[in-house]
Amino acid sequence: MAPPRGEVLQGTLDLIVLKTLEALGPLHGYGIAQRVQQVSEDRLKLNQGTLYPALLRLVQRGWIASKWGASENNRRAKYYSLTRAGRRQLQTETESWERMAALMARLLGGAEGA
Amino acid sequence: MEWLRIFGSRLRNFFRKRKLDGDLDAELQSHLAMLADEHVRRGMTLDEAHQAARRDFGGVEQAKESYRDQRGLPFLETLVQDVRYALRMLRKSPGFTAVVVLTLALGIGANTAIFSLMNGVLLQSLPVRNPEELVVLRYADAQAEGASEDFSYPMYQALRDKSSVFGGVLTRSGVSFNVTYSGQSELLYGELVSGNYYEVLGVRPWLGRLLSPEDDRTPGAHPVAVISFGYWQSRFASDPSIVGKKILLDGQPMTVIGVSAPGFFGTEMARDPAIRVPMMMTLNFKPVPANRMQSARHRWLTILARRKQNVTSAQAQASTDVLYHQALEEQLNALGSSVKAHDRERALSSHIQLDDGSQGFAHLRGEMQRPLLLMFCVTAMVLLVACANLANLLLARSAKRRKEVAVRLAIGAGPSRLIRQWLTESVLLGLLGGAAGILFAFWLKTGLIRFLPADFSANLKAPMDGRVMGFLVIASVFTGLLFGLAPALQISRSSVTEAMHGEAAVTASRERVFSLRNGLVFLQVALSLPLLIGAGLFLHSLRNLRGIDMGFFKENVFLANLNPSLNGYSSERIRGLYGDLLTRVRMLPGVRGASLTTSSAISGGWDQEGVRVEGYQPRQDENMSPNAAVISPGYFASLGIPFVAGRDFTDQDTGGRPKVVIVNQTFAHYFFGDANPIGKRISLNDDPKALLDMEIIGVVKDAKYVSLREKPRRHFYAPLAQEPHLFDMTLQVRTANDPQSISDLVRGQVHDLDPNLPLYATTTLEIQIDNSLTEERLLSWLSSLFAMLATLLATVGLSGVVAFSVARRTREIGVRMALGAQRRDILFLAMSQMIPAVGLGLAVGLAAAYALNHLLGSMLYDVGSTDLATFAAAGILLASVAALAAYLPARRAAQVDPLMALRYE
Repeated sequence: MAPPRGEVLQGTLDLIVLKTLEALGPLHGYGIAQRVQQVSEDRLKLNQGTLYPALLRLVQRGWIASKWGASENNRRAKYYSLTRAGRRQLQTETESWERMAALMARLLGGAEGA
Repeated sequence: MEWLRIFGSRLRNFFRKRKLDGDLDAELQSHLAMLADEHVRRGMTLDEAHQAARRDFGGVEQAKESYRDQRGLPFLETLVQDVRYALRMLRKSPGFTAVVVLTLALGIGANTAIFSLMNGVLLQSLPVRNPEELVVLRYADAQAEGASEDFSYPMYQALRDKSSVFGGVLTRSGVSFNVTYSGQSELLYGELVSGNYYEVLGVRPWLGRLLSPEDDRTPGAHPVAVISFGYWQSRFASDPSIVGKKILLDGQPMTVIGVSAPGFFGTEMARDPAIRVPMMMTLNFKPVPANRMQSARHRWLTILARRKQNVTSAQAQASTDVLYHQALEEQLNALGSSVKAHDRERALSSHIQLDDGSQGFAHLRGEMQRPLLLMFCVTAMVLLVACANLANLLLARSAKRRKEVAVRLAIGAGPSRLIRQWLTESVLLGLLGGAAGILFAFWLKTGLIRFLPADFSANLKAPMDGRVMGFLVIASVFTGLLFGLAPALQISRSSVTEAMHGEAAVTASRERVFSLRNGLVFLQVALSLPLLIGAGLFLHSLRNLRGIDMGFFKENVFLANLNPSLNGYSSERIRGLYGDLLTRVRMLPGVRGASLTTSSAISGGWDQEGVRVEGYQPRQDENMSPNAAVISPGYFASLGIPFVAGRDFTDQDTGGRPKVVIVNQTFAHYFFGDANPIGKRISLNDDPKALLDMEIIGVVKDAKYVSLREKPRRHFYAPLAQEPHLFDMTLQVRTANDPQSISDLVRGQVHDLDPNLPLYATTTLEIQIDNSLTEERLLSWLSSLFAMLATLLATVGLSGVVAFSVARRTREIGVRMALGAQRRDILFLAMSQMIPAVGLGLAVGLAAAYALNHLLGSMLYDVGSTDLATFAAAGILLASVAALAAYLPARRAAQVDPLMALRYE
């Protein structure tokens, strides 16, 4: 079954979160959600609530860490940051994603050519 | 290891739920607030901004729910929910809960009690270092029925000194000590042990030191002893100053050098020797024969060895067998022509076998294994009956809970969730039953141990330890799953609409013959019947054994043992003391007769003597060793053993006079056929050239000597007055009234003769005979108890099914009565539905009993394992009980007022 268009695949979300935290440094959940939407130019419809279980999963795996802090508008918010293990994980996942993407591209391109 | 960390984090979170929920709330609130801020900045009003923020965010509660699933242990959380719910349901129907818990307590408790005995007797290792390395040395030849474990001292030396596969080889021999300390004497079981005994076993001292090889060098030169922890506590009140003091063993001063560690009891289960002395002191305590330590003929030692860690058991066995044969050949060559060719060949054909020694010599195991396993099967069957019974009860209950199920289905519970809920409930019931079963198990176990002979039960350790508790928990959970499965599956199959229309079920037509309910009744009947038949066979067999003609009076005979030789008495002095004792005891009030014997009937021990008989030419391998006993005058008269021919011993048959002997009928017939045995001569030496120096002066009737089941044995009696070497004897006092009441009077007489002479193993002949029936009594008691339990459960279950079915058919019954059906018809209608299940159950039960009971064959006496009368009686009994169980609820149905029945619901 194909996921409905625009929904985020599990696993992909993990990668997006890790990449975001690498690019922007420590960030709260709201910030991550904003960033994801910004980058995808709203083509990715992220139900912001689903972000939190994903964040928890990454914390449990030890890839990100969380800490309470104050936001720009002086609201209390939980900030997430990449750990060293997370950085390594980001690297391996990026590589495997690229391999996969290249493979898919070749496969689909080849199918068109035939 | 990542899953472990995740699990750890989840587990931590499971217990910090409240704090974390607050945390999550705050985080989500802050997210929503920031979203709203953003919308306000773009120009929305505050209200609009909040709404938009919620829209963007999606379902807050859903987010929380999936967050929680990720955070904690949803499985555990559901379980906690289910358990809470189940507890609430059980509290709401206390009657139901009580019945289930009680049933399970009986079923699980019975299994646990038997398991705790199995654990104590069959599974427990010796409390020593690495018991799995220990091996028991035995040897067997092709002709022998089983392996023998008795070795001579020279053989022990050879195996100990030359073995390369053992880290240590120890030997021991049991011995009775007359122990005197501060003026008090008692007879205790002790051991002669090799100097390396404690070292090989790896036992530590609690106080002082233990024996070492240095304490076992020179014969007679090591007057030292080690006492057991238990004996130290009970006799010396845990006084540490006993170390270094002297106690008298058989009148000889021995220095106590230490106390062994608590919990150590030796190398045999259910035996706890109080005192151990070095093997080199043997001749001080077991003086006969004087060459005991050098003779290869006298086999009186058992050997336990510790295998080296890098040696396989096959290697150890092969290497030890070689050593054994070398030693055997040397010894046989040294003995030369004094060994018969036949005996020599037989000895050389024997081989060493190494048996698992982790439980020591495990004699108790050998005796108890079969009855225990049998009882374990029986209790498992009882538990199965209980499960079937409870499954039926739960089915009935699930019918009553249809509405509840319907609601749960309607609000979205899936079948698997329902099954889980119901299984949680039944497993919970199982655990509650198991917890209550601990009490029953404890009571039953204590009762069982009381059945064993006192010297066993005193030292039998069958603790309710971790293993037993583990068994209890597993049995409880398993039971809960077993009886909960069928109802749970049935309930999960119901659909919402069907469940909502509860009435549909009530008017549903008759019960199918092959319904689950009837199947469970069938199962209970089929399981109960073999149990009833088994119990009947055991009872029958026990009655046969008790009714055996012993050949002597067993009523009102008091027994006591004494052994003056332990106090250093000469045989002459012993003879004088025995004579005085008999004279004194015979004058006591209420005494009808008194005598002495070296082997009292059914005492477990017996003597055999090789004989040569006038005019009889034995075959080469013929057994020429009949049973023998040395007796005092008055023996036959006081036990009521009649003479067939000849005369009794008299006071004139003394040491200086011609030697005389009395034989039994079997002896006379075996050696002399129909010829008159009186005046024939025999010799107590099977050498064909031996002087025939004993004259047969009488023939008495056969009796039972060693066991109740024995075939007639050849037996002869020699007079006390002519016996050169006297040791321990049993005093037999026949009384007018209760034989136990004479005990103190007899004890007083012995005390007057020698205050240091203990009287031991006092009992009565009847008790002694009954003790030989321990296994039979245990089996009949237990199998009857469990068969009754199973039958009770099965009939209660049957009754319940009938009651349930007539309740469901109340309206139908009303219609039938309105149309003219008689009460008798209704009664028949209600009862007849059980006929197929019960009938089939009886048939299968009979077949199963017929197929299985041959396993009991050798445990039964004089009753076939397919005894028709027992089968018929058990079948009829169960059928009538079943009929009664069906009748009671059926009668209630028949008494229903038709008008009331029509208005039912």
